Amino acid sequence: MVGAAISFFAITQASLAADSKPASSAEKQKKLIAVLQSDAPSADKAITCKNLAIYGDKDAVPSLAPLLADTNLASWARIALEAIPGPAADEALRGALSQVKGNLLIGAINSIGVRRDPKAVDALAEKLKDGDVEIVAAAAVALGNIGGAPAAKILNQALAGSRNEIRAVVAEGGVLCAERLLADGKFAEATQLYDAVRRADVPKQRQLEATRGAILARRSEGIPLLLEQLRAGDKAVFGIALRTARELPGRDVTEALGTELDRTTPERQVMLLLALADRGDAAVLPKVLQVAQHGSKPTRVATLGLLDRFGDLSSVPVLLNAAAEGDADLTRTAKATLTRMEGRAVDTALLARLPQASGKLRQVIIELAALRRIEGAVPALVPSAEDADAGVRRAALDTLSVLGSDQQAGDLVRLLSKTRNSEDRDGIEKALTAICGRSGSRCLQPVLPLARNSDNGLRKIALHALAAIGGPDALAAVKAAVEDRDESVQDEAVGTLATWPNNWPDDSGVAEPLLSLAKTGKKQSYRVQGSRGYLLYVQESKKLSNSEKLTAVNGLLPSLKQAQEKRLAIATLGAIPSAGAVEVLVGLAGDPALAEEACLAIVNLAIAKNLEGATRESWQKALQTVVEKSKNDATRKKAGDALKRIE
Amino acid sequence: MKNMTDKLRNHLHEPKTDLVHATVPLDRRRFLKTAIQAGAILAAPQVVRGAVVGRDGGVAPSERIVLGGIGIGSRGRYVLSCFLHEPDVQFVAVCDVRPARRESVKKMVDGQYNNLDCGMIHDMRELLARTDVDAVLIATGPNWHATAATMAAKAGKDVYCEKPCTKNIAQSLLLRDVFRRTGRVFQAGTQRRSLPNFMFAVDLARFGKLGKLQTVHAHPGGLGTSMSGWLPAEPEPAKDVVDWNLYLGPTAWRPFNKRLLDGFNFEKGGGMTGGGCLEWGSHCVDLCQWANNADDTAPVEYEPKDGQLHARYANGVKLIMRNEGWLKMGSCPVRFEGDTDWVETGDNADMAASSDALLVGRGAKIAGYPADFHVRNFLDCVKTRGQTRANADVACQAHIACHAANIALFLGRKVHYEPKKNEFIGDEEANRLRSEAMREPWRI
Repeated sequence: MVGAAISFFAITQASLAADSKPASSAEKQKKLIAVLQSDAPSADKAITCKNLAIYGDKDAVPSLAPLLADTNLASWARIALEAIPGPAADEALRGALSQVKGNLLIGAINSIGVRRDPKAVDALAEKLKDGDVEIVAAAAVALGNIGGAPAAKILNQALAGSRNEIRAVVAEGGVLCAERLLADGKFAEATQLYDAVRRADVPKQRQLEATRGAILARRSEGIPLLLEQLRAGDKAVFGIALRTARELPGRDVTEALGTELDRTTPERQVMLLLALADRGDAAVLPKVLQVAQHGSKPTRVATLGLLDRFGDLSSVPVLLNAAAEGDADLTRTAKATLTRMEGRAVDTALLARLPQASGKLRQVIIELAALRRIEGAVPALVPSAEDADAGVRRAALDTLSVLGSDQQAGDLVRLLSKTRNSEDRDGIEKALTAICGRSGSRCLQPVLPLARNSDNGLRKIALHALAAIGGPDALAAVKAAVEDRDESVQDEAVGTLATWPNNWPDDSGVAEPLLSLAKTGKKQSYRVQGSRGYLLYVQESKKLSNSEKLTAVNGLLPSLKQAQEKRLAIATLGAIPSAGAVEVLVGLAGDPALAEEACLAIVNLAIAKNLEGATRESWQKALQTVVEKSKNDATRKKAGDALKRIE
Repeated sequence: MKNMTDKLRNHLHEPKTDLVHATVPLDRRRFLKTAIQAGAILAAPQVVRGAVVGRDGGVAPSERIVLGGIGIGSRGRYVLSCFLHEPDVQFVAVCDVRPARRESVKKMVDGQYNNLDCGMIHDMRELLARTDVDAVLIATGPNWHATAATMAAKAGKDVYCEKPCTKNIAQSLLLRDVFRRTGRVFQAGTQRRSLPNFMFAVDLARFGKLGKLQTVHAHPGGLGTSMSGWLPAEPEPAKDVVDWNLYLGPTAWRPFNKRLLDGFNFEKGGGMTGGGCLEWGSHCVDLCQWANNADDTAPVEYEPKDGQLHARYANGVKLIMRNEGWLKMGSCPVRFEGDTDWVETGDNADMAASSDALLVGRGAKIAGYPADFHVRNFLDCVKTRGQTRANADVACQAHIACHAANIALFLGRKVHYEPKKNEFIGDEEANRLRSEAMREPWRI
């Protein structure tokens, strides 16, 4: 894993060198070079450099190299020079080492490091002696990036120097160089350099990095060093050890870390468990399961939350038992982990426990059946819905609402008739309604008799289920319930009609009873609900044309007595993009109680385009009405602006 | 705010045990769109809860995470507010090249702590040299993100860094390597990784609940790219108003122009400006990567097609970046399609799925993409030294996918990428766009 990216630029250079440049690129390059050689403004030359990064080759280098001394354009030139393959660009950058100073020199050194030019090693070694620590730092990093034995030797020597600030910056190069050695499989050399850095008097962060590397470079033999760091009192050292514990491969490493679990403090135990979980090596699972069962509560919670990472079925019973213990934290965590665990084998293991499970354990398994969508649990759900344990009943009904089908609708209706417990009835109703919503008319047969039950409460539940079923037969039953012998059932039926779902073609039949309610409902509240339901139907209908919607609203308007319902009508008209709707709105704007809403609807329609049948004159009249009637500045302004556009 | 944060966190950590099923929507036969208010979260946080790491009740000074901020503008102030509400965070100093911003943040922080202690620093190197600072929030313009983040890591700081985190493929790899090498904790500011609706949708895909995954869709918020520019020179303000040199930092030099002071105006995508593909892709593509269990790789093929960007992973799953065709669920939507089922969600936290049963246990509906949970995940990992949800390895690959897509868009043709070698296959132009020299003296 270490150094996976560090050969990136070497690959780049190799692959670029191997490719042949298309003729079109040569043409592009010719023009780009001409720009650099001209007295074009710096801006043009800058962008030219970026283009040369894509299309340039050695022919562009002579024009780019002088720019390395240009304070404003050096960074642009290096964009191209870093990207152009071949020795010409390397030579240009090496040449700059003796030509430029300060930041420009640092830039050239940085680019050499990115290109990993081995011919620059000696020159960079000289820069390690520079009086400017920033230049020394750049040279050390460049040497580290170039890597190899010569660079390693130079950096090793520099680490032994006497100046603190120099050792500090050289250390970064040392770590980088060691990383390259490690990536190249030169483990002994890498170990030597890492050790040199971690033992040197350099910044602590560099020592930590070198310690990580020293462990990784030793491979299995790095275990003692790793454990030593894990036992360190220093938090930063412990932290880098945890990072390294995630990276060092091998079952022996996992086992050693597992053993370390017993030695460490509870707080560190949790952190080590996290690292072990990231390793995902089941070799340590028995130890982890022990902690999950017998550790302190915080440790148990943390451990239970990690068990899915090991992907092993032996975790299932431990998790289930923890979930059933009755402690809320343990239950929540164990259930979440069981939900995340992958594979049908987990479902099978859970189902296998169900027949014998009772109480809290049964409840948990049933809840998990919903969360994991275990359809094999369905046969056990109806009996569980009659369980003596209220938690089991609730879980079974909730899970039926998720997994149940019309096959269970009849059972739920039967249960409804049997129970007087209001909580159970609520749960059954929720499950039944959810199933009806999914299964539609297949649930009619069991639900229709419920609508004729002698129990008023059950007849109301039937109405909700029928609304979920939808369609003409369900609608007819709800419509009939408007005339129910019990007034509370009538109320419920009216409410159900007023919110009838109308997105399906076969539900448009609700329009007629709603309009009838709106006009002739025996209570004021029925008339109001009928009006609202009808307007909602009109507004949302996808079947009605604009003119049909307008006709429908016009047909209802004379029946509307209250301002609130009229406002709803205005909102409906405002969603009908036709001149006819605007005309009606103009009329409504004459009512002071409705003027603002009507004016706003007119303005919004004016802003919309493609209104059916609208003429310039009709618009002028409507917008003029808004200017005259509205008291809202913003509305009037919009109307005024729209008028100007028309005129 | 604290109460709200706690409430939201409780939704995440303490979901109700009863299952809540979907209401019946108007168009339920086409798809189900629920607004479930509670339920167990399928993708519960996988790190140790706060109680274990000492954030219950009072927090001893020795257990506090001392935080600094770098480049705190409007987005940074929001994320900082998430940090400030965490009881185990002590924010000590803000660093910005613009004094007005420094002062504004100091006022905010001092107001929160009811003291005058927040330090103001001009140059981030001064902040990074402080030994009392454990972690930094980086919310500069994208130009600085990778450079500042790696400088911080090398200085021994943990990092929460706003996205997009890198400017090109090479920077993405370097970011990953630096955080591996230094062992520091990194969290990319891709907070949707910590929001229940996105986590839930991702887990449906990851755990096979949608059948065999076929296609993942990401909203890129536009697919435009262009070469970065050099705007006309304007009089450069005094250094104590804007330190232009430091503001430019690692990007190639250009004269001052105030339009560039909005960090989102330049240098988003390495050789070209990134556009939405990187700006939004670092969120949406990141989620698609996760859904495809592809956090350790990137698509192998990218092709601009019909106003979209079509990519393909080595496992055959297609990634489509498209601006149109989404259900209305707010910004940053994603959609995952398996061979049996599908799910879609977005920033308003609604979820749509091919079956209501899929959405059972989806957890709290938390709209508006708050960063609180992501910040908390970072802080927990700072304490446990665990892996954050958007760690540097994860962010590296997600950003590579975005950069590679941008390169295909920039070149206007299909490109083939080899994730193991981190190179485009037989494509010199594309390969040269993987990296870009940084202005002196900066480097990663």
